[in-house]
Amino acid sequence: MKTMVRILLRFSEKLVEKPITAQVILEHGVPISIVAAHIDSQGGEILAEVPSTHVEKVAEAFREKGVIVTFPRLIEVDSERCFDCGACLSLCPVNAISFKEDFSVVFDQEKCIGSPCGTCVDACPARAIRLVEQHGSV
Amino acid sequence: MEVLALRKKGNPAKKRTIAEINEKIRKRDVQVLTTEEMKELVESSGVEVAYKEVDIVTTGTFGAMCSSGAIINLGHSDPPIKIHRAWINDVEVCHPGAAVDLYIGATISSETRPFEYGGGHVIEELIRGKEVEVRATAYGTDCYPRTKLRTTLTKDDLNQFYLLNFRNCYQRYACATNSRDETIYTYMGKLLPRFRNATFSGSGALNPLMNDPNYETIGIGTRIFLGGAQGYVLGEGTQHDPGNRFGTIMVRGDCKKMDPDFIRGASFNKYGTTLYVGIGMPIPILNEGLARKTAILDEEILTDIVDYGVPRRERPKLGKVSYKDLKCGTITINERKVRVSPLSSLKKARIIAETLKSWIENSLFYLSSPTEGLPTDTTFKPMKQTEEIAFVNNVMHTAVTCTEDDEIKVVAERIISRSVNHVVVSDDEGRLRGIVTSWDITKAVAEGKKKLSEIIVRKVVTTTPNESLEAASRKMAQHQISALPVIDHNRRVLGIITSEDISKLLGR
Repeated sequence: MKTMVRILLRFSEKLVEKPITAQVILEHGVPISIVAAHIDSQGGEILAEVPSTHVEKVAEAFREKGVIVTFPRLIEVDSERCFDCGACLSLCPVNAISFKEDFSVVFDQEKCIGSPCGTCVDACPARAIRLVEQHGSV
Repeated sequence: MEVLALRKKGNPAKKRTIAEINEKIRKRDVQVLTTEEMKELVESSGVEVAYKEVDIVTTGTFGAMCSSGAIINLGHSDPPIKIHRAWINDVEVCHPGAAVDLYIGATISSETRPFEYGGGHVIEELIRGKEVEVRATAYGTDCYPRTKLRTTLTKDDLNQFYLLNFRNCYQRYACATNSRDETIYTYMGKLLPRFRNATFSGSGALNPLMNDPNYETIGIGTRIFLGGAQGYVLGEGTQHDPGNRFGTIMVRGDCKKMDPDFIRGASFNKYGTTLYVGIGMPIPILNEGLARKTAILDEEILTDIVDYGVPRRERPKLGKVSYKDLKCGTITINERKVRVSPLSSLKKARIIAETLKSWIENSLFYLSSPTEGLPTDTTFKPMKQTEEIAFVNNVMHTAVTCTEDDEIKVVAERIISRSVNHVVVSDDEGRLRGIVTSWDITKAVAEGKKKLSEIIVRKVVTTTPNESLEAASRKMAQHQISALPVIDHNRRVLGIITSEDISKLLGR
């Protein structure tokens, strides 16, 4: 299976009307899947997944069209507060949380889907998990 | 039998004493293994060798232990106060004694930050050396005239600061899951609808009591690892249930010496706050039997999968599962794979067993002989109740039903003829498909809708016959609805219960 990488695309007011995502897909023949999107007349954001093999090409293509491209951190885990209980593990719909050999809890930032989900956040007994606010919030 | 007797005679079973082991600790000549290392040794070399070579096996657990708290003594104020009520960082603490002794209960939530911050966090912050705010009120007496108090203090300002936990370290615990259609928030954590996840507690084969299941070496005065310091067992904990392998202990330890790495305030959303406590026990290998017992494996420790979706004392059991399966992360419920997560930290449990081992090896920790063992014959009784509690099956009645193909007009007529407000939509086999209210029908008529399927409410909040009326009315209030279809575990409609039924019962 191909690994996918998440990119956050931020559109200004001027760009909102243009079919930029479709153009990038057509011009480069790369599949881009949209994980979450919030767009209105003021601008918007798309959280998308692209194959890791093409991520640089795709990011460059968007940037050329004036889109701000970042590689978002969707979730923040306070390692001081986390005591590795693992209460979050069975809640994650995309299996982004797992145990290492020594039962340390690890979060896979690339699998995490962030704010559209957030199922683990209120289940953490240590209150160690926080969703990272994306600008304009996806 | 004869052979065994002969062998025993010729080669008398050697026994170790705690005094001998302590002498070895003093000379730094003691053999200590963590319980995981012991299991490997027994597996590779057998019980006899393990008994010969090992003096002590260390165990550990780090989990939410709600029946925990700390006793503190503030010293006297001037003029003195006999505290009636008191709060620390807005968490009400209890005042069970004379003038200035307070007990910080782990599960008491802050009045300003409920479910976020509570007694467990106050204990952790004090252990961390942080300053806390104490407020108190009193009625005033001739000897204690003061009626109000406000001060800030740290652990250094306290005379005594002792962890005093009346039930800790459950030998094993149930695995929790949820049959309901909604997520529930329990002391076993967040449980997703329709068995979509499960949780468990306890460290399985690492658990202290599991390594000495008959409590041969554990009792009043047993010295243990408690919250990163040395503590003691005070005896059996409340709800101690040795017959069912649900033993517990009561413990005490000096908080001023504890390490916040091994004692943490925590909160279970919509349930309350608690305290995660780290406990490690040394099991002296006094005889060969103990060598064998400390080799217990996760696959030998079974527990029940319990449906926490049924809020009753006897919750339905859905099967048995071993701690080995639980630690693997996936179990099977109703023939479906379900992901399961621990609530206890297995990583910390291991670290505790390792830490205790190194304390002993470095002559920092000596064993104590319990003055009295934990009871092995007590039971855990349910509460004696003098008031009758009503359940859904006491008031439910037959539901007026229809099918999805019925016309709106037919359903409207049925509402009038049977004088009800709710019609339950079911399929050919009587399974719940949705619900329609008289309001939905009125609205459909006003909007000119013809088809029943367009107006059916398909996301239905339901109840079961054995749910308490209190829980059922809680559901109705939460969802702002006035009726709940009663269904069985196959979602077949058994009846309906309405808010009118409940009002009638209360007015009786």
